[in-house]
Amino acid sequence: MKVKVDKTVVASIVLHVLVIGWGLISFSSRALEVPEESVIPVDISLDQPAKATAGVQTAEKDKQKPKVDKVAPEVTPPEESQGKITTKKELIQTNTTPPPPPKVVEKPVEKKPDPPKPVQESKAKEESKPADKKPEEKIDPIADALNKPEKEKKPPPPKQQEAKPQPPKPKDRPFNPMDIMAKLEDKRDPTRHEMTGATPNATSALGTQNGKDTAIVATWKGAFVAAVRRCFRFPYNGQDADQFEVDIDIQMRPDGTVASSPTIVAVRGPSRSVGTAMAESAKRAVEECQAYAFLPKAQYDTWKYIPMTFGLKDML
Amino acid sequence: MNKMRLLSRRGFIIAAGSTATVLAGRSAFAQGRLKVDPTEFQPIPIAIPNFVAGSPSDGEVGAGVTQVITNNLKRSGLFNPIDQAAYLERITNIDVAPQFQSWKQINAQALVTGRMTRQPDGRLKAEFRLWDVVSGQQLTGQQYFTSPEYWRRISHIISDQIYQRLTGETGYFDSRVVFVDESGPKERRVKKLAIMDQDGANVRYLTRGSDLVLTPRFSPNSQEITYMEFGQGDPKVYLYNIETGQREIVGNFPGMTFAPRFSPDGQRVIMSLQQGGNSNLFVMDLRSRSTTRLTDTPAIDTSPSYSPDGTRICFESDRGGRPQIYVMPAGGGQAQRISFSKDDTNASYSTPVWSPRGDYIAFTRQGGGQFSIGIIKPDGSGERLLTSGFHNEGPTFAPNGRVVMFFRDPGGNGGPSLFSVDISGRNEQRVPTPGYASDPAWSPLLSSTSGQ
Repeated sequence: MKVKVDKTVVASIVLHVLVIGWGLISFSSRALEVPEESVIPVDISLDQPAKATAGVQTAEKDKQKPKVDKVAPEVTPPEESQGKITTKKELIQTNTTPPPPPKVVEKPVEKKPDPPKPVQESKAKEESKPADKKPEEKIDPIADALNKPEKEKKPPPPKQQEAKPQPPKPKDRPFNPMDIMAKLEDKRDPTRHEMTGATPNATSALGTQNGKDTAIVATWKGAFVAAVRRCFRFPYNGQDADQFEVDIDIQMRPDGTVASSPTIVAVRGPSRSVGTAMAESAKRAVEECQAYAFLPKAQYDTWKYIPMTFGLKDML
Repeated sequence: MNKMRLLSRRGFIIAAGSTATVLAGRSAFAQGRLKVDPTEFQPIPIAIPNFVAGSPSDGEVGAGVTQVITNNLKRSGLFNPIDQAAYLERITNIDVAPQFQSWKQINAQALVTGRMTRQPDGRLKAEFRLWDVVSGQQLTGQQYFTSPEYWRRISHIISDQIYQRLTGETGYFDSRVVFVDESGPKERRVKKLAIMDQDGANVRYLTRGSDLVLTPRFSPNSQEITYMEFGQGDPKVYLYNIETGQREIVGNFPGMTFAPRFSPDGQRVIMSLQQGGNSNLFVMDLRSRSTTRLTDTPAIDTSPSYSPDGTRICFESDRGGRPQIYVMPAGGGQAQRISFSKDDTNASYSTPVWSPRGDYIAFTRQGGGQFSIGIIKPDGSGERLLTSGFHNEGPTFAPNGRVVMFFRDPGGNGGPSLFSVDISGRNEQRVPTPGYASDPAWSPLLSSTSGQ
């Protein structure tokens, strides 16, 4: 009895076996070549988070301090919120804390354009010109009063804030998020106890011999660009939007705040006035979105000065 | 070492900054710079609390001015006025700097404060300040005096100031629109010429509706309009002075004249003259009354519109079979077709109008059973449809060339109404009118003309 075998079926089976076999061998061997990744601790000590990525070069295992996550806090049980009353914040009143008002009532603009009249009058033209008069350059008592307190305020170092600007909290409700935290807190014994001690050990993560932690620079750049982009609002609807670009230089403080008002370095585009407005908008975005507390302190040198370019070409 | 390198590099950039040399070195610098390209079109969040009343009786006008400014900025699509209910600070004195922190908290980037005060002589004083909330700087501040009845116009002027300071472009709020008001049943429509503020307020009728009027067009630099009217005999092109009510016929041609439009200097009117089954373009000098023929073709050439520099004309012609848009020198000569249907609808293009900025030509496109309003660059590139539907027609540009107004007829027993859309097509708004309305024509900025 002879079974008739279709040659194409045989060929197909052979080919399948070959391909699958090749795949099994080659892919399995590839898997063995996974490079060792540098280990970055997730539970970073709050005091010196950036140093956690310092790597192995300087670490000596012998003299290593006992691994400690944070300074031992005073043990206090979480407060029960029941029966607690939170007080509502009052509305800010302008008049209660006014900066010194101008001595003489000097008008912001001396110009008195004529009222619009139904009769043809060339004076109406004057109304269109105030923009040319650069009212900002005039001595404005309020602007002066404003600038002074700001300069005085500068010396005290800014407090470290959270990385992302919080959305405005509703002020008119006696809502205390701490209540929720207290209620949600797991009061059972944790399965993993934090090591506490006198001083936190910044080099707790020793990493590996071939650590590539400096590559994290790319990560902060992405996060920084994303943060600034969120505050950059310059609506422009011309089809030549892709031709506008402004270069802005930013000086940063180690705590992730902007050290001084960003500098406009260059403005490019078909319209000077639009470009200038865009540059001002970019400066506003950088200042509005600070503080950038997520910037790694250990790499302060890499972000002490951040040159940026703002464009509009991807705007949809 | 690293520090020094950074410093020297920065010095170089600053030295080159703000000059044309930066353009040359652009690619070199771009590598070291962090690039921020927003992917989302986001309007500017702005807070506009009610203007403070200078005296107890000024509260109403203060609120009115605030409402007009808020409405203008919001309708432009470039601003996002924050709801007054969210404000944490109440402005009671505009001579005192605001508490910027409380405006930052509601995510405002800009803040407008103002005051309206009735003067002893009966006039109204309007003051405003525009603040950069983030830096705490005053960006601009002005004061105006006017008769109390012009409070809306002052609101438009202030809106333009804010728009210009924050976007870098001139505003368009202090302008008017002339249009054809339509009333009565469909078969016996009464069409009157009417004029209103660009936001639909202060409607005023210019004709009584006994004769049919069409295609009103504003002079670019005076309070004059030109339009076509069906009176006794052939339809003729007229000039009409809005302020004086004076009316005159343009030229005395043996045949129908239509589709008139002013030249940028306001000294000439360009129009179509029907000759048999064809029509050609003519220009008439309003001072010397001399006319010049611009085209001489066995086709229908119509809807001419000057480029803002006055050197070229775009118009509609069916010389190629279907109506398309052509561009030619202002004195006549070789015309170049710029509109081409890019799909298989074999669309036709009509009613071209050149933007006051010169960068685009707006048109009506008919194809695939739809009427669309679109823009195209004068060289024929960059075509973009802004809106499509059953019937959209008759685009006209805002004085700053950033917004287009047109009329839309939904079909059926209804009638047309006016709409505006920005040149990205993103922000379409209905323009309120008392009844049905068609054929809008946007005026130049009022402050750029000699009228009120």
